Amino acid sequence: MNLLADALASGTVTTGEAVTFWILAPIALGGAIGMVLARSAVHSALLLACTMLSLGVLYMLQSGPFIGFVQIIVYTGAIMMLFLFVIMLVGRDSRDSLLETLRGQRLAAIGLGIGMALLLCTGLARGIGSVTAVGLDEANANGNVQGIAADLFTKYVFAFEVTSALLITAAVGAMLLAHVERRKGDRPGQKELSRLRFRKGNYPGPKAGPGVFATSDSVATPALLPDGTESERSISPVVPVRELTPAEAAPKGTDGGKRK
Amino acid sequence: MNGLESFGQDPWWLVGLKALAIFVILVLLTLFSIWYERKVVAWMQVRPGPNRNGPFGLLQSLADGLKLAFKEDLVPKAADKIVFLLAPMISTVCAFTAFAVIPFGPVVSVFGVETPLQLTDLPVAVLLVLATSALGVYGIVLGGWSSGSTYSLLGSLRAAAQVISYEIAMGLSIVAVFLTAGSLSTSQIVAAQQGGQEVTLFGTSFTIPGWYALLLLPSFIVFAISVVGETNRAPFDLPEAESELVGGFHTEYSSLKFALFFLAEYINMVTVSAMATTLFLGGWQAPFPASWWPGANEGWWPVLWFFLKVLILLFGFVWLRGTLPRFRYDQFMRLGWKVLVPANLLWIVVLAAVRAGTQQPEWSAQWVGMIGGAFLLVLLVIWFWPGRKKYEQATEPDTGLGGFPVPPLDLQVPPSPRVKRLTAEREPVSVSAGDDATAEGKEG
Amino acid sequence: MTTMVSADTLDISFPEVDYLALAPLLIVFGAACVGILLEAFLPRTRRYSAQLVLSVVGLVAALVTIVMNVGEDRPAFAMSDGSRVDAIVIDGPGLFLMGAIVAMGVIAVLLIAERRVSAGGAFVAHAAVAADSKADAAQARHPGATEVFPLTMFAIGGMMLFCVAGDLLTMFIALEAFSLPLYLLCGLARRRRLLSQEAAMKYFLLGAFASAFFIYGVALLYGYAGSVQLVDINAAIAASGNSQVLLLSGLAMLAVGLLFKAAAVPFHVWTPDVYTGAPTPVTALMAACTKVAAIGGLLRVFNVAFGNSGNPGGPSLAWDWRPILIAIAIATMVIGAILAVTQTDIKRLLAYSSIANAGYLLVGVIALGQALGATLFYLVAYGFTVLAAFAVVTLVRDSQGEATHLSRWAGLAKRSPRFAVIFTLLMLAFAGIPLTSGFAAKFAVFSSALEAGQTSLVIVGVLSSVILAFPYLKVVVLLWLSQPVEDAPAVSMPGFMTGTAVTVGVVFTVLLGLAPQVLLNIVDGAGQFLAK
Repeated sequence: MNLLADALASGTVTTGEAVTFWILAPIALGGAIGMVLARSAVHSALLLACTMLSLGVLYMLQSGPFIGFVQIIVYTGAIMMLFLFVIMLVGRDSRDSLLETLRGQRLAAIGLGIGMALLLCTGLARGIGSVTAVGLDEANANGNVQGIAADLFTKYVFAFEVTSALLITAAVGAMLLAHVERRKGDRPGQKELSRLRFRKGNYPGPKAGPGVFATSDSVATPALLPDGTESERSISPVVPVRELTPAEAAPKGTDGGKRK
Repeated sequence: MNGLESFGQDPWWLVGLKALAIFVILVLLTLFSIWYERKVVAWMQVRPGPNRNGPFGLLQSLADGLKLAFKEDLVPKAADKIVFLLAPMISTVCAFTAFAVIPFGPVVSVFGVETPLQLTDLPVAVLLVLATSALGVYGIVLGGWSSGSTYSLLGSLRAAAQVISYEIAMGLSIVAVFLTAGSLSTSQIVAAQQGGQEVTLFGTSFTIPGWYALLLLPSFIVFAISVVGETNRAPFDLPEAESELVGGFHTEYSSLKFALFFLAEYINMVTVSAMATTLFLGGWQAPFPASWWPGANEGWWPVLWFFLKVLILLFGFVWLRGTLPRFRYDQFMRLGWKVLVPANLLWIVVLAAVRAGTQQPEWSAQWVGMIGGAFLLVLLVIWFWPGRKKYEQATEPDTGLGGFPVPPLDLQVPPSPRVKRLTAEREPVSVSAGDDATAEGKEG
Repeated sequence: MTTMVSADTLDISFPEVDYLALAPLLIVFGAACVGILLEAFLPRTRRYSAQLVLSVVGLVAALVTIVMNVGEDRPAFAMSDGSRVDAIVIDGPGLFLMGAIVAMGVIAVLLIAERRVSAGGAFVAHAAVAADSKADAAQARHPGATEVFPLTMFAIGGMMLFCVAGDLLTMFIALEAFSLPLYLLCGLARRRRLLSQEAAMKYFLLGAFASAFFIYGVALLYGYAGSVQLVDINAAIAASGNSQVLLLSGLAMLAVGLLFKAAAVPFHVWTPDVYTGAPTPVTALMAACTKVAAIGGLLRVFNVAFGNSGNPGGPSLAWDWRPILIAIAIATMVIGAILAVTQTDIKRLLAYSSIANAGYLLVGVIALGQALGATLFYLVAYGFTVLAAFAVVTLVRDSQGEATHLSRWAGLAKRSPRFAVIFTLLMLAFAGIPLTSGFAAKFAVFSSALEAGQTSLVIVGVLSSVILAFPYLKVVVLLWLSQPVEDAPAVSMPGFMTGTAVTVGVVFTVLLGLAPQVLLNIVDGAGQFLAK
């Protein structure tokens, strides 16, 4: 990084800035690489959040505190949080399927990806070397926030307004694709539920809880009815009936031999 | 130019000293506010509360904290070890960081160095607080997820949705402060609340006090409600609802890790109280009666006012917890999205219109008031416009399916036969002994 | 007055706005927003008619204001200190592109609104209901969602903005503003919903990827030129001593984003799947209006920023990007034409034909200013024909909905000769047979490309047109000469709206074939992009 060394020598970059950069840049890069490599979706999301956080701090370092904090609040705080929300619902044990549908796709993707990255990096390294940064002081002359406000409400005012169209579209789209409208009567009310509960052949009382015995405290253990038979109704339908291990099933002399 | 020249001039030892002071203050405040909460709730419930350790039981939380540190540190088998360890740290670090930009007082002299009583200030300091609170949620969400337990996961899911929703309301409520103060820096917002402001409306002029809690009352109300949601405190403590989710996100945590979560929660409470003080209650400036004394806003006195205000707000938190039952989840979301956010947006629009109106020379205040009034009137008419459908009484009482006995709607409870018999039996007693004997004879 | 001091120290003066110049955009976006409000406040039964009237009236009003703007080239914003703001540039080609988008948008809205051909229209009633579930079967005959109208209006507004945006930032937001509604609309088909949802997903993911390329390109170009305004970039190319690496890589990435929307090879892979899966009216909208917007954006970027219109005779970047764009154009024409030959589904066939047509349009882009008028002409000619073609596709139905497989179309002429005549005419226009608009358009583009010295491109173009004529003629033969299959699909009687769409399309196809000079005059009158 000759560029940085030059800047450091010429005094445009302070030592603190350089130190922060060298701490954060590897973190940002490592986070990005780790995000691609991590198997668990939540780890990927976390590493991405880490990268975004580092980038946010780097923005602050470059005299853009407003954009830095907005990056942290919006991207790390809200967008990645929504991502996490969805990923957590998917289930923590789900891993990426490693099955390739196209033969050799992954190799090709890795090769092309690295090639593209190299191309861009070398290009940028050459390109940026010749660019002299101008106008930072003028841009921040009235304060960073004020500078952004001035740009937003003069030069880019129409673009700024059109983003509202974008947001409206996004909101309407989310509603269209995710919101199932319930008409009146679609969902049983208290009256209907009560009727269902008391219809013939249904036992209106609460269900028996799953069994809790000295031998097993699993919710998959059915409760015993007064006559000693097991009640299937005591177990949630999503819980598979647990096969007891021989050790668990062996009589322990605590139940007086009544349990079969 | 931007009014922040007095920051960033401190020698390194002073920066360290300030950071250390903030750390110590926060830890002490946490210990104190746990005791404070227990004492206040106890007082509300007419019982003594902690009174064994130290004077007035003040050392109770210290004892509890020490005990917690010596508990066994359990890590569930199903946990994601690294994230499980990381989560409480994220929570705590973020909680501490937010306090860096809170102004405790004006410029004072520390060991001969003139310095403001604030670790640092930024042109966008309030955003720092928002950012740390946004990041702090990661601790809760990840803690719940990594525990590998259903209760924890549910708690963290709730936390994620809750914080995103209420952070929008909170952010919007602060926008009004930015608009009025013209700055995002905490020290300047405090400075902007100094003194009152003369306003002429409908020919009469009066002084509006400088505190934004009065000037921007709707914002303050929304802020106060949403920070309770943001800090997961009752009645919005759904992520850790103990009656539904055991302990919510921290069900599986024990020992020091649990202590860290606990610490973070209380620091967050202190932080948002300090934020409310800074943004809406005039910060470290002396409150009304004390403000008559000219020296109240000089030297170290403001620190007292600041903490006084923070403690009063903390009392509010405790009061809520002692009084209100927990919200149901859908009610909670409805309040956030359908009440707080739209009300806030409307308020910002009104405020911006008023500000724009007062800045235009050709618009007089009367016009602004009249247009605003007409707008409000229209809103009120829409709000109270009678709905087309009236509630219709069911024509015949529902007797249920299959003749299940449902009491008729016009049920009149007949007098209990038992009571009748008792009076019938007792009636003769009150007449005379002779009658009593005959009655007995008749029965026999 | 302590409370308001710091806010007042900052002096921001709002730019002077030319509201007449902005009127078309404001009307369309405004109508879309009002449409959203109608969704919120009107009862379900009244929404459809209100939305339809609002959309059509809004578009017609926009068209009127576009015409009112003709004749004066100027930016819509002017800073009070005299510095240049190019956010929106109203110039001849820009107005023409906007007008084309709005005019075709009206037809597309009519197609979207059609509910008589199939019960409830082409859109699903509740998109959130899981496809092929019991609830989905229950909503089979419910009228379609009316949210599609405001979404379409947003899309059309975004496309219009895309054509007149004078800086890359506004352009990017316009790109997103018209892409996002399209992603949504693609997933709302009533029939074959899983296919439709897959199409939306594919379009969304690839589109997001392309947008990322676009914005990265913008960043690099900003690094090079210090501005995102097209005019400033052009000036920087002439003057700047900065490394060309930034400029060229920025240009490459920008082009990826633009070429993706135009469906040029190798960024075309989404096209067949999305065209097939999307509801046919939306496909028509994409084939006609999106094509105009994408090519319009390409034309403006390459003419204003990377051409040498800013300083004629000065150094030009065209030497650098032309070979690559030529390669892309050739690949697009050839691959689109060859793959079209093998298709057995009419929507897929039209998709590949749309790719090949993107190639012909790229020829016009490469020829820069000289071919600008011809390219604009081509866009209109192709757009109206393709609208009519997709409108006809919606009419051929069996019990499963639209019968798009070509084998089902065999011998349809025997049962509905009128339909067959119309479709044959459209196919001939696509194939570029003389006396149709297709011929006039291709002739115009190729001859101006020849004038600009792109001989090789023209040769490839003509060859690929010959290849592309084959699948079209195959369809014609199939219609007239094959024996009809059993349980052949019926051609529904078009309702008023589809009928209008077909009629307008056919009239334009014939009119532009017989008397192309009318439109060519308009196009020539539009002049060049405002580049100073």
